[in-house]
Amino acid sequence: MSTRLVLDGITKHYVAGKNAVTAVQDVSFSLAEGEFLAIQGPSGSGKSSLLNICGLIDAPSQGQYYLNGNEVGRLNTAQRCEYRRRDIGFIFQHHQLLPAMTVYENVAYPLYLNKVAPKKIKLEVTQLLEKIGLSHRCHHLPSQLSGGERQRVGIVRALIKRPQLVIADEPSANLDHKHAHSSLMLMRELNEQHGASFIIASHDVFVIEHCDSTVNMLDGCRVPSS
Amino acid sequence: MNRLLIAVRNIVRDRTRVLSTVLIIAVGLMALLIGIGFMLSTYDALQEIAMRSEGHVIVLAEESEPARGGAHQQLVLANWQDMRDQVLDDERVLRVLPRARFEGLISHGMNSAAFFGTGVDPREEFRVHGPFLRTTNELDPWLAENEMPDLMLGSQLADTLKAEKGDVLTLKVQDREGEEKSIDVRLAGLYQTGIAEIDDHTLMVNLSTVASLMGSENISQLSIYLLQNKNSAEFKSLLQSKFNGVIVQTWDQRAELFDKVTAQYDRIFAVMGIIILVVVFLAISNTIALSIYQRRNEIATLAALGTRPMAIHANFILEACLIGVFATGLGMLFAYLAANAINLSHVMMPAPPGRTEGYQIFIYVSWPHYLLTSLLLIVTVMLASFLASYNNARVNIADALA
Repeated sequence: MSTRLVLDGITKHYVAGKNAVTAVQDVSFSLAEGEFLAIQGPSGSGKSSLLNICGLIDAPSQGQYYLNGNEVGRLNTAQRCEYRRRDIGFIFQHHQLLPAMTVYENVAYPLYLNKVAPKKIKLEVTQLLEKIGLSHRCHHLPSQLSGGERQRVGIVRALIKRPQLVIADEPSANLDHKHAHSSLMLMRELNEQHGASFIIASHDVFVIEHCDSTVNMLDGCRVPSS
Repeated sequence: MNRLLIAVRNIVRDRTRVLSTVLIIAVGLMALLIGIGFMLSTYDALQEIAMRSEGHVIVLAEESEPARGGAHQQLVLANWQDMRDQVLDDERVLRVLPRARFEGLISHGMNSAAFFGTGVDPREEFRVHGPFLRTTNELDPWLAENEMPDLMLGSQLADTLKAEKGDVLTLKVQDREGEEKSIDVRLAGLYQTGIAEIDDHTLMVNLSTVASLMGSENISQLSIYLLQNKNSAEFKSLLQSKFNGVIVQTWDQRAELFDKVTAQYDRIFAVMGIIILVVVFLAISNTIALSIYQRRNEIATLAALGTRPMAIHANFILEACLIGVFATGLGMLFAYLAANAINLSHVMMPAPPGRTEGYQIFIYVSWPHYLLTSLLLIVTVMLASFLASYNNARVNIADALA
């Protein structure tokens, strides 16, 4: 398997008032194509900051970040936006479905952004919604769905464009065990079909157990597994 | 992906605030359109007064004082009968009225007053003024050429002279040679224009009365009434080239009051328009800014998914545009209903300065003005929403999603 992502000595400083806060300190790891990687650690350990850098939502203060062999750590805002649209899928803790869009429109949106032909969009969205058993909900708004259904829609929205990298921030945090399990299985299944690499920030032991590797964070630094 | 439908859903989500914004825009537009309707009806009335009093096209002798609005008391337009006959041959012409201006002193018993008189063709003169000159006479012909000529007096001048219909009054003038002349006239009736300055100082007699009094067949001007006002400028050019030794003017060149009032109203409604545009601008800016603040999370999600900032702005502009279209539609409906309600309720306005009587307010419904004003408001709405979204929609994705 080829290397999808390499983080080398990534550091992130924030300025909070007059103080500089170091959220991530000299973190390095790599991720192979199709790999499932968990980032775990207590609150404030730097998981989210690291995830934002991996997802090109934020830029590192120091260090190198390679995605598919390209240095992406120094990209400007527009270039990062371009990468996110094309190559990165996001699964959010609170699903973050767009409330004015139906289930169908939420799932179709990444393809629409990538200017995929409408016929192809319809085909792909319909297939994926059937696969997760939500085709009967396609014209419903997110407010009309259950928590588990929303998270499944969020997962297929992240994967429909077949991204190379999927960032998942606490995807099971607001779900009961049954739904958390089914969501994880869905991610795994789509991961096997599409070959996307996953970085999942989670406290959930069940999620971590199903990942191929783990990065442990504490006070912004990577620490060995206990 | 139907962006219009998504924008509608976003608007409906925030219905309370959007409704207040829609009402602000709609009521503002209604006020503006009612004002414009009033302005247009006033312009029309003033134009009608000016055209009916002076004619669409006026022919003066070159020796006349060409200053606008000046009283042309000199009787210097000679051979006007030929000119009138030639002009009347044109099928665009409705009437040609000769007018001879003169001035002097009028007495009734112990009461005397200075006057500005006009010698007119009574068969035609009282037909052209319409509702802008009311007379007490009921039967034609006025100003009969009896042994004692008839006289029509401005209503307030008659009050000053304490004269009543049938009374005999004396006109005293200086003729062209400077010799004093006088003539007794019978008061045939009164007229009222509603303009104090005119009703207080003017009178009318038959053209032949002026000729015998002043010792001249000349007149001051020929007032030409056309079937359609739009032909005025063209007809003026035609007469200017056809007749030598005359000055030809269109009604608007002599309508000083019309110019003053339109300039004044234009300024008033420009200020009113600017105020309403500012209110609309602030209302929509506020709505969009609050909407952005409430939807920071969605904006961050859109940005995280790779939506370009301009596309996010475009969503807000589209929403504002829809609000603007709906609000202006409602505003036009409000204005249309209010205009009709006002017109049907016969509301009277108080007498304006210089006039002796009020008038019924009338509001025009001008669809071109309705559409143009609405378009201006929609452009304002779009500009306000662009600035509001440009200033507020640049969220830090990480912070907004935390």
